[in-house]
Amino acid sequence: MVDAEAIRSWLSLFAAEVARNRDLLTRLDAAIGDADHGANLDRGTSAAVSALAGDAALSPRTLLKTMGMTLVSSVGGASGPLYGSLFLRMAGSAGGADSLDAPAFAAALRAGLDGVVARGRAQAGDKTMYDALSPACDALDHAVAAGNDLGHALSLATAAADAGRNATIPMLARKGRASYLGERSVGHQDPGATSVALLISTAARALSGDVSQ
Amino acid sequence: MTGLVVVSHSRALAEAAVSLAAEMLHGSEVRIAVAAGLDATTFGTDATAIVKAIEAADDGAGVVVLMDLGSAVLSAEMALDMVDPDVRERAVLCAAPLVEGLVVAAVAAAGGATPSEVAAEAVGSLAAKQGHVAAPPPGLSIVAELSAANGLSADTSNQTPTCTAIVKIANRHGLHARPAARLVQESRLFDARIELRNLDTGAGPVPATSLSRVATLGALCGHRVEVAATGSQAQEALNHVLALANRRFDEQDPTSAAAPQRSAGHRAHGTPMPASPGIAIGPAVSMRAADVEIPDEVPGDSPTEWRRVRAAIAEVRREIQRIRVAAAREGGEGEAAIFDAHLMLIDDTDLLDDVRARIAAGQAAPRAWIDAIASVEAEFAGVSDEYLRARALDVHAVGQQVARALTGAPAIRIEGEGVLIVDDLVPAQVADLDTSRVTGIVMAAGSPTSHSAILARSRAIPTVVAAGPAVLDVPPGTTVALDGTTGRVFVDPSEETLRELDAADQQARAKTALARAGAFSPAVTRDGVEVLVGANLGSVPDARAAADNGAELAGLVRTEFLYLGRHQPPTTEEQIEVYRSLADALGGERLTLRTLDIGGDKPLPYAPQPPEANPFLGMRGIRLALAQRDLLDDQLRAIVAVAYETPVSVMFPMVSTVDELADARHRLDLAIQLAGRGRPAGLQVGIMVEVPAAALKADAFAPHVDFFSVGTNDLTQYTVAAERGNPSVASLGDPLDPGVLHLIRAVCRAAEGRCLVAVCGELAADEAATPLLVALGVRELSVAPSSVAVVKQAVRQIDRAADAELVHRALTAAGPRDVRAILG
Repeated sequence: MVDAEAIRSWLSLFAAEVARNRDLLTRLDAAIGDADHGANLDRGTSAAVSALAGDAALSPRTLLKTMGMTLVSSVGGASGPLYGSLFLRMAGSAGGADSLDAPAFAAALRAGLDGVVARGRAQAGDKTMYDALSPACDALDHAVAAGNDLGHALSLATAAADAGRNATIPMLARKGRASYLGERSVGHQDPGATSVALLISTAARALSGDVSQ
Repeated sequence: MTGLVVVSHSRALAEAAVSLAAEMLHGSEVRIAVAAGLDATTFGTDATAIVKAIEAADDGAGVVVLMDLGSAVLSAEMALDMVDPDVRERAVLCAAPLVEGLVVAAVAAAGGATPSEVAAEAVGSLAAKQGHVAAPPPGLSIVAELSAANGLSADTSNQTPTCTAIVKIANRHGLHARPAARLVQESRLFDARIELRNLDTGAGPVPATSLSRVATLGALCGHRVEVAATGSQAQEALNHVLALANRRFDEQDPTSAAAPQRSAGHRAHGTPMPASPGIAIGPAVSMRAADVEIPDEVPGDSPTEWRRVRAAIAEVRREIQRIRVAAAREGGEGEAAIFDAHLMLIDDTDLLDDVRARIAAGQAAPRAWIDAIASVEAEFAGVSDEYLRARALDVHAVGQQVARALTGAPAIRIEGEGVLIVDDLVPAQVADLDTSRVTGIVMAAGSPTSHSAILARSRAIPTVVAAGPAVLDVPPGTTVALDGTTGRVFVDPSEETLRELDAADQQARAKTALARAGAFSPAVTRDGVEVLVGANLGSVPDARAAADNGAELAGLVRTEFLYLGRHQPPTTEEQIEVYRSLADALGGERLTLRTLDIGGDKPLPYAPQPPEANPFLGMRGIRLALAQRDLLDDQLRAIVAVAYETPVSVMFPMVSTVDELADARHRLDLAIQLAGRGRPAGLQVGIMVEVPAAALKADAFAPHVDFFSVGTNDLTQYTVAAERGNPSVASLGDPLDPGVLHLIRAVCRAAEGRCLVAVCGELAADEAATPLLVALGVRELSVAPSSVAVVKQAVRQIDRAADAELVHRALTAAGPRDVRAILG
């Protein structure tokens, strides 16, 4: 079961991975964007970790909401409203529950994906975070429906997100600043899809019930 | 009074734009609030700051929000979700350009306009500039603009305004597949229903989001098309479509959609590249000629059949996307756009609804698909315009592609004999071609370095690739000639061209025949010195091609191909399997396995490296392998395991000191100890000589190696200090630079009587250089699989292996040009 503590450790782990990969994300963004994805996201997730630390023993919903609102106001780039929508929709989906079981977590992540789509209007193949997040949600739904525990389901989702991230390399960007590059965007990995892969892999690590991994 | 909000990444930009707008107000009090930057100097946008700005600018009359780009738009939309519903109803997001829009909006607001009126004025601000800078293209005029200019009201949930406009089509061939695909693509971006009607023929209305339906409008050049949009983004959608029509739907050259040039002797469109040498002349044969036979099958339940269709479409989508990327790379975006039309067709909701209905009615997937496609094809074929009618062929081609995926029918069934013209071929298809019927291949896409091209070379099928999609339109039966050595393609060539090609063909055939005849004999100079000729491999198909061409060993196996493009390193077992396959494909000949050779320019996700300012002078080759020993140890274990079964040489890359070699040999000894079966009998150890210091210290290395292999590409770049990938210094990087030749001689002198010297760089395949390399003392040449037979033949032309005079003249020459002159 995913309770407030589990969510908190997921979000902290995500922030730590973003910090660790800050330069990688920025380098990827330098190739096809404005070289700020790593710095922006790191600024947002660091601020969110501070904000989360201020409150003890909250419900999943309030934690996710704080995460979303902090990202919206502190990231600065397009990933602010996009990741913000993801977490805010997750918060909405989580409702007032003290903890989420595997289907509820999968439903929340799916709601997050819907939020990202509503905000960014990205479609499959546009070379965006959608291309990693959507296959991750599909894999998670599928694995959970097949009766897998959340940890295993999330490890399958991680593989799907990684594959989706890699699949952005040959894509032609159709959204965001990368789309201004036209065919020159082909051959570069999308930074947003890369940070989504971190989001999912940290979920797999934090929510599998084995935090020591 | 309507308030204004300026959202920008930059606070300085927003404030300056406000100052500019304020100049127009002459003291009128318009409330303009700024939400820009994360602080005074940090670029960024913040939805919560925009919420505050909207609340500050709204005095109850509503606000118009102007934004710059990207996250500004997303954050503003997010802010609208977050404000009080009353405020949201009065707020309008305006798509106008920030500076022009703000100036016009300020004036309109000061004049008492409502938010939607202000937004409409602001959007119109761009027109003045456009009209001034670029006169609209001739033939297009917006006849009636925005009959219902409702602005961009954010609250449209309970009203559905219809915005209409009429556009006159300026594209020379009307709204055919490519421009229609652009229109469909863009129309799908909006939360709006967009319908089109051809006012000149009365066709329609049809949804702008369906490619097959748009094509049935039969909209020709000069026709007037009514665009009607409803929904929350009706206005934006309409503006967008008008702008698109203004740009002629992004069709780059008004004549580019014309049929390809077919006049006698003209070269076909595109920038064709030679892929497999030889000349072929014959009638064009198309693989589109043969239709898939739809089998009579008992349908499974509807969900099963529907899944089959979806799986087939997904497969075809991947295939088209792959070809599209290649086409964009070779021929530019304009050439690639036709594939967008194909992609759009297979995702067409009308078509898929039809397929689903047929499946629900009890048809099997292939039958349902082919019938649904046939009805779309019939709609196209029924259009009166000849050009549009011809687009039925596109529908047919894509329909057949999916049908093949559904039925597993072979991709190519060739009717007739001659020159095969195709978009692209996968290696398996090249391998299956009947060479008694296909005399040559012209590919619209493809690359000379692809495995398909390698296979074409090893099968001696003259091939030209990247000829551009226009060649696909060459009618079957037209005489086509191609020269796979130069990359030239002639459609309907003249008598003179044919004679010229024929003569070149005879000459080339004689030479190739001679080389092929001797491919499996040893390469011995006339004075009896044998030179080993091997192949450089990067895959198992390479190894097959090498064996076909008479390679006596693999002089270089680039094992990187096992490591790149994945997230985990290959396991020892996986490596053993691949090395075994290479040895099998090569008929058990010796494999020279170079240990993993990577660096900071091509980092592996599982072997992270800090970024380096100059990766070519940084941690790469053996340096990196010794620093991250796990990968090396795993690889050496796999190499040792295979060495018990087949002759194997281990080759360490980019060695510059004897200590590095000692360390690497120590790791190898540990791997042998671990195997516990003693030293494999045929195991040899060598180093790549790529670093000038290593070449000059060859004497110190010689006691510790069985062979040296000179990598002339890297040795040249390090010797002349000119990076291989940098075009502005590329001309310096000639391996025939006498400086490089001196280093090769140093290696050969040190090795004499002690160990073998090989050359495995590009220079080894340069037939002109063969006598010089042999004279310097090189006794093994490792080249691309396709060059093996030719290089063997070059060795056989050498009169005297030890030509001291030749060596002296080359080493004392002033530069590579003089060396080439000496070599003749």
